[in-house]
Amino acid sequence: MNDNISDKIISVKGLKKYYKGETIKALDDVDIDINKGEVVVIIGPSGSGKSTLLRSLNLLEIPTEGSIIVDGVDITDSKIDINKYRQKMGMVFQHFNLFPNMNILKNMTIAPVKLLGMSVKDAEDKAMELLRRVNLADRASGYPSQLSGGQKQRIAIVRALCMNPEIMLFDEPTSALDPEMVGEVLDVMKELARQGMTMVVVTHEMGFAREVADRVVFMDQGKVIEAGTAEDIFDYPKSERLVSFLNKVL
Amino acid sequence: MDWFTAFCDKFKFVFVENDRYKLILQGLGNTLEITFFAALIGIAIGVVIASIRSTYDKNIEIMRKRKGFGFIFLTILDLIARIYLTVIRGTPTVVQLLIAYFIIFESATNGVPIAIFAFGINSGAYVAEILRGGIMSISNGQFEASRSLGFNYLQTMRYVIVPQVFKNVLPALCNEFIVLIKETSVAGYVGVHDLTKAGDLIRGRTFEAMFPLIGVACIYLVLVVILTSLVGKLERRLRTNER
Repeated sequence: MNDNISDKIISVKGLKKYYKGETIKALDDVDIDINKGEVVVIIGPSGSGKSTLLRSLNLLEIPTEGSIIVDGVDITDSKIDINKYRQKMGMVFQHFNLFPNMNILKNMTIAPVKLLGMSVKDAEDKAMELLRRVNLADRASGYPSQLSGGQKQRIAIVRALCMNPEIMLFDEPTSALDPEMVGEVLDVMKELARQGMTMVVVTHEMGFAREVADRVVFMDQGKVIEAGTAEDIFDYPKSERLVSFLNKVL
Repeated sequence: MDWFTAFCDKFKFVFVENDRYKLILQGLGNTLEITFFAALIGIAIGVVIASIRSTYDKNIEIMRKRKGFGFIFLTILDLIARIYLTVIRGTPTVVQLLIAYFIIFESATNGVPIAIFAFGINSGAYVAEILRGGIMSISNGQFEASRSLGFNYLQTMRYVIVPQVFKNVLPALCNEFIVLIKETSVAGYVGVHDLTKAGDLIRGRTFEAMFPLIGVACIYLVLVVILTSLVGKLERRLRTNER
């Protein structure tokens, strides 16, 4: 989607995540680079470690070993202030995680007001503009419980955007939605990709991957098995595991 | 209407003669004073202990990895909190009250502040666990969403978690304070002239058991009903926005 995919935003090296000693290897020596403006889609069977990898990128999971370089700084270093880096990485969750006690506008403005020192008015203007882009401006004063799943997820996306992130992480954003609502969320994500946002998306939506991804990464058992353009992965899969995975999901 | 006149006469004899109602009022005053200040102490202790325990539970994995002073400090605080909870919840309130009066404040003469102290410490343990339960009942997704926006742990608690917790724990907290009101009735053990003691005194002086004891029971009941309805109102106000 973007020609200028040269400079790395995130560089993951030798990432490992073990549970219970070393009996469960959720991530087993993963290397991956995310370039500016690139849309990377991570696919794989459940339990393959794709969500763990995504959640490691902003340290919601603490990796056992390895490094994650963001803007030249290793964020796994205990001396850095991870909160500063998280501000630049928006995240969208499978279960939306809107704050139920705040109205939509407050959901979107609380972080920029408290963390970026934005005035309430500026933050609200920005939030309203984003809400108009996802056609939910009329919901600004409503509460999350009054929204459908698709609407909640669109709000969750624009809430993250209110922080002006450099990169957006999506953790199975459509998996908890009714089938008829998947489209509206994917449309917002496509629009975001078109505008050049750097995105890492964990999803089971193969159509979305094929259409939008600059790079598709296939994971299994904590390892990156194969990575390449959507064409490479879907039309010319090399590894046996990817072939059998695609046979099941397509 | 014989029984009615008889009732009025008895009532007058038990409560009005010799200004015996003043005993009740004085007892009620002490009961309210003890309950109110014990509740304040209980909330203060509860907030501190619940903060320590839930901070420990939510952060220890990261801190263990990063080691250092914070890890040791938090581990010690958590250990102290656990010991406090175990001891206070593991021993009867009356025994704690007696220990406070006869051992800790051996030379004391006025039982009211000691009762406040003992009931406050006692209530703190229960309030702490109520609050911790409330914090733990908020889905991890709320923490993660807040942290992913860039809020640190304390900001997450302040802006996102605590406002939700307060609403959720209100019924349980109300319950705890109902228990507290009634539990203060054992303050007579350390010579405090509380409501129950007042009823018992009148019973001893008048050789009438029914009127003073039922009367005292009714006053407790009214107190609890008032508290319940106040909390109910607060709950409804907090809930207007949601769901």
